[in-house]
Amino acid sequence: MKNLSIPATLSSPQVQGNEAEALLCLSGESYPENTFEFFSPILAWVVEILGRDNRPFTLELRLSYLNTSSIKCLMDILDDLEEAHRKGRQVNVRWFYDAENDRALDLAEEFKEDLTLPFEILSIEAERHE
Amino acid sequence: MTDLYDIRKNLTSAGILICFNGPFSHSIIEELGKAVKKYLESAEIQKSAMMDVFSVYIEATQNVRNYANRADLDKAERDRLNTGIIVIAKRDEHYVVHSGNCVRSDHGQELVRVLDGLAAKDKTELKAMYKERLHQAVPAGSTGAGLGLIDMARKAKEPLHYSLVPEGDGYGFFSLQVVI
Repeated sequence: MKNLSIPATLSSPQVQGNEAEALLCLSGESYPENTFEFFSPILAWVVEILGRDNRPFTLELRLSYLNTSSIKCLMDILDDLEEAHRKGRQVNVRWFYDAENDRALDLAEEFKEDLTLPFEILSIEAERHE
Repeated sequence: MTDLYDIRKNLTSAGILICFNGPFSHSIIEELGKAVKKYLESAEIQKSAMMDVFSVYIEATQNVRNYANRADLDKAERDRLNTGIIVIAKRDEHYVVHSGNCVRSDHGQELVRVLDGLAAKDKTELKAMYKERLHQAVPAGSTGAGLGLIDMARKAKEPLHYSLVPEGDGYGFFSLQVVI
């Protein structure tokens, strides 16, 4: 089992999966050319960790925009985490959003309303590169 | 050939900010998307409106790409169908995203039926439909999640406008207009 490390591009997020900590972080924007192909190894990584032991799993998201195919892929990951949570595993989802980006907040809330697992939505001050 | 001056005059009088006509590639979608965002940022509109325009732009252009990549099309057909036009215009207080592409007539008619179905739904029904689709498995070999049109209908400030104009030889030109 390896760590997951995918650098960001203009249309795909940075992905970092830490196996030892059972922590997956996604940040950036997501509308890659072939979204299903892009997410397939990420989903496989999550499924493998969930299937192996019962350690607490954390998903951290800093996503400012997702196309609908990416939303579908992220929902698939969250549905798997939800199932693990229902079976008694400790699962935490933390969604960080730029306070100026209402749409990222709306998106987080739409995911959250379909789930019962712990799902924190946290506002971060806009990072300014001036 | 029409004079470039006339083309420019027509684009300007129609409030057209960005227009691209030609073969869509992923890198063109990315680069034009960057330009769309830059432009909207400088226009100092609400971030949520900017994100909605960007989102509709991405869904519309990726729909054309995904359609041309359908497994049941041959190479020659793909090249023909991967060509599209995308226009972003300002109309009063709204932004309008237009997209058009060549489609096989049977596919175009199927698309019009789907859009007729969406047009009959209110925002609450559209959300329910979106959520149901979100938790369903995507059919094998599918290039999209089937959520793009529902998402555009949810974001649109006016009902979606769409049309299919026959071009003969079994093809037609499909166009879609989304007001944000």
